[in-house]
Amino acid sequence: MPLLTIDGTEYEVSEGRTILQALDDLGLLMSGVDIPHYCWHPKLPIDGSCRMCQVAVEGMPKLQIACNTPVRDGMVVSTRSEPVKKAQRGVMELLLINHPLDCPICDQAGECKLQDYAFEYGMAGARTEEPRRPAKKATELGPTIVFDQERCILCRRCVRFCREVSKSGELGVFARGDHSLLELFPGAELDNPYSMNVADICPVGALTTKDFRFKIRVWFLDDVESVCNQCSNGCNIYASRSNNRVYRYLPRRNDEVNETWICDHGRLSYSLITDNRLTQPRVARRSTTYAAALSKAGDAVRAAREAGGRIVGVASPFAANEDLFVLREFLEAVGGANPTFAVPRGEGDELLVKVEKAPNAAGARALGFEESESLGGAAAVAVVLGHALEAQAFENVETLILLDSENCVLRERADVELPARSFVEKEGTFTNHANRVQRFRPIVEPTFEAFAEGEILQRIAVVAGLAGWTEAYDVREVSKRLSEAVAAFNGIHLGSLDDCGQKLA
Amino acid sequence: MELDSFSPEIQQEIEALFPRYPDKRGALLPAIHLVQAEKGYLAPQDARALAGLFELQPVEIWEVLTFYNMFYTSPQGRHHVYVCTNLPCSLRGARTLLKGLEAHLGVRCGQTTADGRITLGREECLGSCGTAPVLRVDGEYVENLDLAEAKRVIDGLE
Amino acid sequence: MITQPHITNYLSEHYGNDAYSGLAGYQEHEGFEGLRKAVRMKPADVVELVKSSGLRGRGGAGFSTGLKWSFMPTENDRPKVFVCNADESEPGSFKDRLIMERGPHQVLEGILIGAWAVGASKSFIYIRGEYEFAARRLESAVSELYAEGYLGRNILGKKGFDHDIVVHRGAGAYICGEETGLLESLEGKKGQPRKKPPFPAQHGAFGLPTTVNNVETFAHVPFILARGIDWFRESGTEKSPGTTLFGVSGHIERPGLFELPLGTPLVEIIDHAGGVRGGRRLKGVIPGGVSMPVLPPTELDVPMAEESLAERGTHLGTGGIMVMDETTCMVRVACVASYFFRDESCGQCTQCREGTGWIHKICERLEAGRGSAADLGLLDDVPTLMEGQTICAFADAAAWPIQGLMRHFRSDFEAHVAERKCPFPESFEL
Repeated sequence: MPLLTIDGTEYEVSEGRTILQALDDLGLLMSGVDIPHYCWHPKLPIDGSCRMCQVAVEGMPKLQIACNTPVRDGMVVSTRSEPVKKAQRGVMELLLINHPLDCPICDQAGECKLQDYAFEYGMAGARTEEPRRPAKKATELGPTIVFDQERCILCRRCVRFCREVSKSGELGVFARGDHSLLELFPGAELDNPYSMNVADICPVGALTTKDFRFKIRVWFLDDVESVCNQCSNGCNIYASRSNNRVYRYLPRRNDEVNETWICDHGRLSYSLITDNRLTQPRVARRSTTYAAALSKAGDAVRAAREAGGRIVGVASPFAANEDLFVLREFLEAVGGANPTFAVPRGEGDELLVKVEKAPNAAGARALGFEESESLGGAAAVAVVLGHALEAQAFENVETLILLDSENCVLRERADVELPARSFVEKEGTFTNHANRVQRFRPIVEPTFEAFAEGEILQRIAVVAGLAGWTEAYDVREVSKRLSEAVAAFNGIHLGSLDDCGQKLA
Repeated sequence: MELDSFSPEIQQEIEALFPRYPDKRGALLPAIHLVQAEKGYLAPQDARALAGLFELQPVEIWEVLTFYNMFYTSPQGRHHVYVCTNLPCSLRGARTLLKGLEAHLGVRCGQTTADGRITLGREECLGSCGTAPVLRVDGEYVENLDLAEAKRVIDGLE
Repeated sequence: MITQPHITNYLSEHYGNDAYSGLAGYQEHEGFEGLRKAVRMKPADVVELVKSSGLRGRGGAGFSTGLKWSFMPTENDRPKVFVCNADESEPGSFKDRLIMERGPHQVLEGILIGAWAVGASKSFIYIRGEYEFAARRLESAVSELYAEGYLGRNILGKKGFDHDIVVHRGAGAYICGEETGLLESLEGKKGQPRKKPPFPAQHGAFGLPTTVNNVETFAHVPFILARGIDWFRESGTEKSPGTTLFGVSGHIERPGLFELPLGTPLVEIIDHAGGVRGGRRLKGVIPGGVSMPVLPPTELDVPMAEESLAERGTHLGTGGIMVMDETTCMVRVACVASYFFRDESCGQCTQCREGTGWIHKICERLEAGRGSAADLGLLDDVPTLMEGQTICAFADAAAWPIQGLMRHFRSDFEAHVAERKCPFPESFEL
């Protein structure tokens, strides 16, 4: 393993890597070793044109670009020598020659590499007042992206993305020299299922999303680690929130799952978090208190047990592993079989999108649940974790208890409706299509009374008089129990999982 | 095939070039020269047609078209008259010559005469510094010029 | 059009004879003697011979040709390619055009000798799009060679010595004269130079091992093979043997090409060309194409070879000598040069794309009388932000002329600032 010395510190790096790749592998790039860069991206082909990543390599007379310099054993690099600083100032100054002073109206402000590097590596004042090159301002590039051509620094990340990742090839750079302009083919649009990723990778505000435009300044946002719930890929995300509201999702890098990308549909699914859902407990379709609703549910369960009636459960591939596990325990306690579940399906693609349109079907399977459209006969009580189910299946159920975090179609059929917390309102884990267990963290608080499904089930159990059950709910404790009860989950629980996830045994 | 793009004959000529290159994309510049010889310039439908032939994205064709001086993406005059305005020619009065031609034709450099006869332009060094100043008229060099001779040549163009 | 240089030597001796551009005429004057000698030698020995001859590339960089050939891999697992760089676009340079129009077989024979030496089975002649007549001459010459068995299979009866040549026209972009910009353009893309590594000998045209040589470089090779190293080294200098076609243009009495030994003093070449036109005084000379820093009259004694020019802060480049007389405004020269580089930058690297634009804008403002002392400071500084820090040497080529003009003619620039206008009304019009 080659040894690379940077600014006096020695690192052991993998074979066949460039300086930037080696630092990225070690998790040190821009968090430990600062080598500023624009055109390089860990998941795109190397470009080498922005020239910002120049470093001094001992034994080489000219500065070298760290993005394209292969590490040789014993290489000694300096990132802070005077020639490097001069080069960085030079690149910064030249990038600003044709860049408009848009910061006050630009969405990128606060997460803009031009701002950040100008502050860190640039000059204090401008030496030019030459008119800037004419270019377009705030035009539509397609259904999702706003394009400010004036701001473009021609790093070509977006061009490489469209050619190599989305393989849709819409963007190009026309003409040459300082007349170069990022453009679409005449009459074309940027329109592919991954289009909004170009706004992430654009280091400046040339490409921004319509969705986020002018909504909020990013310094008011804080980012919470979570996982997208729109399909079984489980792309890692950051949910950007402010004042108990989610303003956007951004992809969170996970080289095992989604690299640095997310599909547009998943990215926009934050807008599904609304108050158009079950917010008030109901019994027989009339609003009531939570206690009253729990009472009704618990009584129905107890009555069914005493009469020897059949109690069934319906799980949901949208529910967390922890909630599914409590459901399993509940059904064991009442003498019911494992719950069944149904998975909505759709189109997948070759990049990220999966056919199963729910985040935790694999988790349900790992707990021993089977897919089924039917309940297998009449039942006295059905305990249902709501999400997209067919109403017909429940015709022969006497008491339908619905735990709902959305606006399930079964609400018109349910006898007891209990508001549940969605994944953005609690902690838990999902298991993705590749059996990777990934954790999500609470992002917002509901403005009404709601609990995790596992907690609701515990409360019902208490009312129903099941032995050994308490109301006090600790999701971490549930998670630990799950990891001990199911062999595949051995060692995997909320107390041990990091934000990269872990595969089932 | 795209409506209103180049002829099947041109397509055949293009395809005949493919075996000359290890990757057929090598034939792209010659192909564009062929299309342009037929049509005078390339419109988006020509770029789409070429993209289909070469299995590229249309935007990649447009990138190439806009990069090179000799490729046009808008209609041109029947004749191209270019004046070299680089240093050796300028030292010998090329820019004065250009201004004279602008006045003579009644257009600015880069424009086409109203009757569509002549597009007047400027070019970088044409490799004719020993016989400066020089014009390139429809691909042929006209060298050792003065304004009178230049006007005579241009007036002879239909 | 020029049909032969004012002064000829071995290279251009027969250029005045139109038949020389045809195979029969070429063969009457030693044509293909060099190739016949080469194929009687081991390929590696041919490489050594060219290396020992000291032949330096004539495309502007002056790199040892034989050394470049030796970079090609010896394994034959992938086809090897030669590329002839006929993109001649350096302002002031017009020699390759004459060689291709009047002596195309010299170039083709040189390519074939190189092909034998490195085991290349294919060559592309990348000729600038504007050289339509020269391209037709080359096509015609190539056809003759196929007809006579000098191209195709088993050339000169040597089993396995196969070679094909494709004449490929460019479309108007100076940057396609840069080795890897040329390769990109040959492959049907924008002519944007490549990052190095990898180098063309490992990964060149279409990913194949490739050597790129200039037209004139190839043209010398048959003579070296036919007449030998000792003969070749008789002319030129120790480090720069042989002749070259110096192109003299601008304010000169007899513009044109002059085939003279490398190392000939600049003042002699200017004399051969009849001196400054109209008997005027010389103000400055650019020795090697517009990319090379200008020289003041005090440096006219410089031997025209790379090693001597480098000592005086400039370079041989392509030997394009541009003479400027006393009427010349050097700020206007800066405007012409900086416009050229701004127009021709491929646009990839930040410093080149933005620096060329900035410099041009400053020069134009200075010429219009709207410049300040701060602008002179910028013209000192901005070139240093560009030099040595980009994917290719274009940024250096754009920086050097400005640096040269500021070094030797700063007073012209200062006068524009002080007088708030151009103080040289007699100068060539901009």
